[in-house]
Amino acid sequence: MAIEYQPKIVGFLCNWCSYAGADVAGTSRICYPPNIRIIRVPCSGRIDPLLVVKSFQQGADGVLIAGCHPGDCHYTEGNYYARRRLALLRPFLEYIGIEKERFRVEWVSASEGKKWAQVVSSFTDELYKLGPREMTLAKGTG
Amino acid sequence: MDLGEQIRNKAKELIEIETVDCVIGYERATDGVGARPLFAYKPEEVDRLIFDQTCTHNLAKYLLNRKDKATAIVVKPCDSRAINLLLNESQIQRDKLFIIGVACPGITKTGLNNTSEELQAACQICQQHTPVIYDFLVGEPPASEPDIAEAYADVAAMEGQSAEERRAFWEEQFSRCIRCYACRQVCPGCYCTECFVERLDPLWVGIRIAPEENEVWNTIRAFHLAGRCIACNECERVCPVNIPLSLLNRKLEEEVRELFNFQAGMDAETPAPFATYKKEEVFPEIG
Repeated sequence: MAIEYQPKIVGFLCNWCSYAGADVAGTSRICYPPNIRIIRVPCSGRIDPLLVVKSFQQGADGVLIAGCHPGDCHYTEGNYYARRRLALLRPFLEYIGIEKERFRVEWVSASEGKKWAQVVSSFTDELYKLGPREMTLAKGTG
Repeated sequence: MDLGEQIRNKAKELIEIETVDCVIGYERATDGVGARPLFAYKPEEVDRLIFDQTCTHNLAKYLLNRKDKATAIVVKPCDSRAINLLLNESQIQRDKLFIIGVACPGITKTGLNNTSEELQAACQICQQHTPVIYDFLVGEPPASEPDIAEAYADVAAMEGQSAEERRAFWEEQFSRCIRCYACRQVCPGCYCTECFVERLDPLWVGIRIAPEENEVWNTIRAFHLAGRCIACNECERVCPVNIPLSLLNRKLEEEVRELFNFQAGMDAETPAPFATYKKEEVFPEIG
């Protein structure tokens, strides 16, 4: 029996806004798909493109990065730097054959539990439509 | 007076009056046709300096080993951008440097024991024939730089393909990588004492022979040079398995130009795109 495709999403959430936002979603009992694996980081400025590329290499179907809204960074300017790096990373991933729909950057504040659930739901839906990532490179090498 | 002679005269003067204790330039390689780097410390060694269209190496890389020593260096326009990059990143000191700039006619494809008339790929689309920083200029700079509309033609062709086609293309390219790291060793922008690829904890790039590990290496190498690559194309030249690294580098170069209106190494003062930000800027790409 074929195993049904379940997209694997790696989510990098900033400690101060988005992680708290996801927490609000939980304490408010808002349902959203369980496809996301959340990794808490101190700030979206912590996101090294290496983390994203490595996630894809290890089999992620999508990578979501969530941080404080621009202007609201706990460290004042971390997400401004992140924004520049990630704006360049997205077309570059597309260029090497990782569809840009698989990589999302969202700004989710600590009170936006509802928005967080919507973001994860729509991202998961989109990844269902895209289907599994072709991992020809990893075949047979484990 | 040919370029080599002008360089030799200046170099001899610099060594004799002890302005610098070393001149980094080019000499004829042992195969008799190519060029190789020369470190001239004595006036008699200066006589071996040459310059012609086989002088392909980007010598700016060697300045990283001579940070505190007064050095003169022969640079082509692309190499001069590397000097600006290193000055911008506080890796070298301007007052220790004497820069002999060469108005470059373009470098030809050369191999061991053979040379050709054909210009290297990077030189065919070169838009900088005069060094951007120098103390002494040799050669005749052109009156104006050529405007090459097709500079990113191959990048555009790649963008025109589907995601699956691009995926297949890069998988094939990266699968041939032997991770010799020649591209890194030759690059003036790659000077970290500990490269991410050599870190053991966490082990970002596994040591096993596996194409997907190669992919992490090649992707991140290119991205670490985003907004920093000065387009000397030495990485592609030294690649023993001919991976078209300039296709990656120039994609990023083009994006950086569009997103941040920035070109690496054109001066030593403008902050690099990732070292600064503007509060009001918006990037439609990331919503």
